Amino acid sequence: MGNKHITNKNVKINENTCGCFIDDLIGENPEMDKNRKKELKNNRLCSSYENDLEVYVDSDTEKVSYDFYMRKLTDGLPIIPPTKEKLLKFLHYTDYNPDDVITILPPKQGKATVEKIAINSIMAGCIPAFMPVIQHAVQALSQDQFNLPGVNATTHPVAISVIINGPISREIAVNSGVGCLGPGNIANATIGRALRLCLINIAGAVPGISDHATMGSPAKYSFCFGEAENESPWEPLNVERGFKTETSTITVMAAEAPHNVNDHRSKTAEDLLNTIVNTASVAGCNNSHVPGEILIIMGPEHAQTVADNDWEKEDVKRYIHENTFLPVELADRGGRKLDNQWIIDSNVRITRSPEDVVLLVAGGPGRHTMIAHGFGTSSESVTLPLTLKDGTPLQSVQDYKNQNNKK
Amino acid sequence: MKVKIVEKDVLNPLAEIEAIKLEVNPIPENINKISLFDNTKPNANLILKIIAESLDNINFHRVIKPAGAPATPQQLENAVQADLSILALGDCGSCTSWVILDAIRLEKDEIPTISICSHKFITYAKELARSHGMENLRIVEIEHPIAGQSQDRVERKVKKILPEIEALLKLDQKI
Repeated sequence: MGNKHITNKNVKINENTCGCFIDDLIGENPEMDKNRKKELKNNRLCSSYENDLEVYVDSDTEKVSYDFYMRKLTDGLPIIPPTKEKLLKFLHYTDYNPDDVITILPPKQGKATVEKIAINSIMAGCIPAFMPVIQHAVQALSQDQFNLPGVNATTHPVAISVIINGPISREIAVNSGVGCLGPGNIANATIGRALRLCLINIAGAVPGISDHATMGSPAKYSFCFGEAENESPWEPLNVERGFKTETSTITVMAAEAPHNVNDHRSKTAEDLLNTIVNTASVAGCNNSHVPGEILIIMGPEHAQTVADNDWEKEDVKRYIHENTFLPVELADRGGRKLDNQWIIDSNVRITRSPEDVVLLVAGGPGRHTMIAHGFGTSSESVTLPLTLKDGTPLQSVQDYKNQNNKK
Repeated sequence: MKVKIVEKDVLNPLAEIEAIKLEVNPIPENINKISLFDNTKPNANLILKIIAESLDNINFHRVIKPAGAPATPQQLENAVQADLSILALGDCGSCTSWVILDAIRLEKDEIPTISICSHKFITYAKELARSHGMENLRIVEIEHPIAGQSQDRVERKVKKILPEIEALLKLDQKI
């Protein structure tokens, strides 16, 4: 029985004690640390008890997982049982109170309190230090331009892509390198999952009930990664969006599951980008009839090939915008009547402007890029800085612990 | 020595819902003008056209709104220039969300509404309205699917809901 502790039952003779705790008999000991006092109290035997010992053990994972699954509280995978002890560890990484409402999440209009966010993060298998990232990501999802009522409910297989930039990405060891979109890293695997569980349990986006994805997507389990800032020849996403290099940010984007662009051949920027734009110019995406954002996750080797030809980031974004299009007769197949404003020379562009090209660098060795079409015109990505409640940018996730110690 | 093994309690991950209750606006006895709020989903315009043709002595104006996103303030402003607004079509997840949420925005602007959603999304539509405090929002159920269907087939489906729309209007007039 791992992770157990022993405690007394609360047999009150007054408000605070069963009467056999020595400190209560001799009066307060001002020198004794408050936590130590509580610990002593909770571990003390008491002769007035029905049982000599009560041993508290962690909830049975298999049983709780099954129970939660049957109540539609999970994504189908086993969960870590959320207990008060685990919750307290997560609360060290926020300067809000547990019942503070961070935001309201549609469609069910659930109150996203710090406590509920933490409980869902525990279930997802997160470690407590991920809490600041998840809390800010939940806040980002609720911004109007993200359109969570649409994204949550749609038949389209849109997932939530979570991109983490800045020093905190490295501090909590988010994978931005080899296999960053795949298995093997706890931050990438569980932060995205925590958000999905928040959407299910706080927003009410239960698959088949308020999440109407015709088929859904594997990316809806977790789609979280960091930008390989040290591998990129260009400024990272947080800087492009107006934040300092040392300011950590969270970006959420409604995106399809990523599609690979394999190009081992191209030696010039234009050749390589042509492979990308020809992969991105497809009729079946939302963007083909309601243009919007597209996520381009360029592998470091591809990025270097492009940069070697002196292409700046804005050149790449403009090129992708101007050359990712398809003939009008192939557009308008996604279900919405094509608006004339999107038709240029009998073609429809996948993006509305170069700004719609969300370009960053991630991944390991190899000549691959990943692309993911967005939700079309109906959703825009949101980037938020990780801050304390008063707006001070976080230097480290430990800043919260320091704040809480001051209280 | 007696030892009792106690399993720790697990915490509830479900959020509390903000409890609000909003009333729908009664439909006026004399309807001179109806705005047809078309979210551009395939055949939404056809549904609204058939409904308009079935109602005599009423003026109509068509307002376009996005399918999977909220109507702009200007679009809402155009839609409220009427005695009633009919919204179509909720036949997918995101468009149902924004048919219902835009209908609620119109109701808050004191314009009575009738929303049309397909039967595959009607449960969600009603639940969404309820969670936003408007349990009695008028939602008419049309047979799914509507997109990708021939005009004849859509017409047949619309004709089935015309009596309900007419009844809704007459019923409200008596209140």
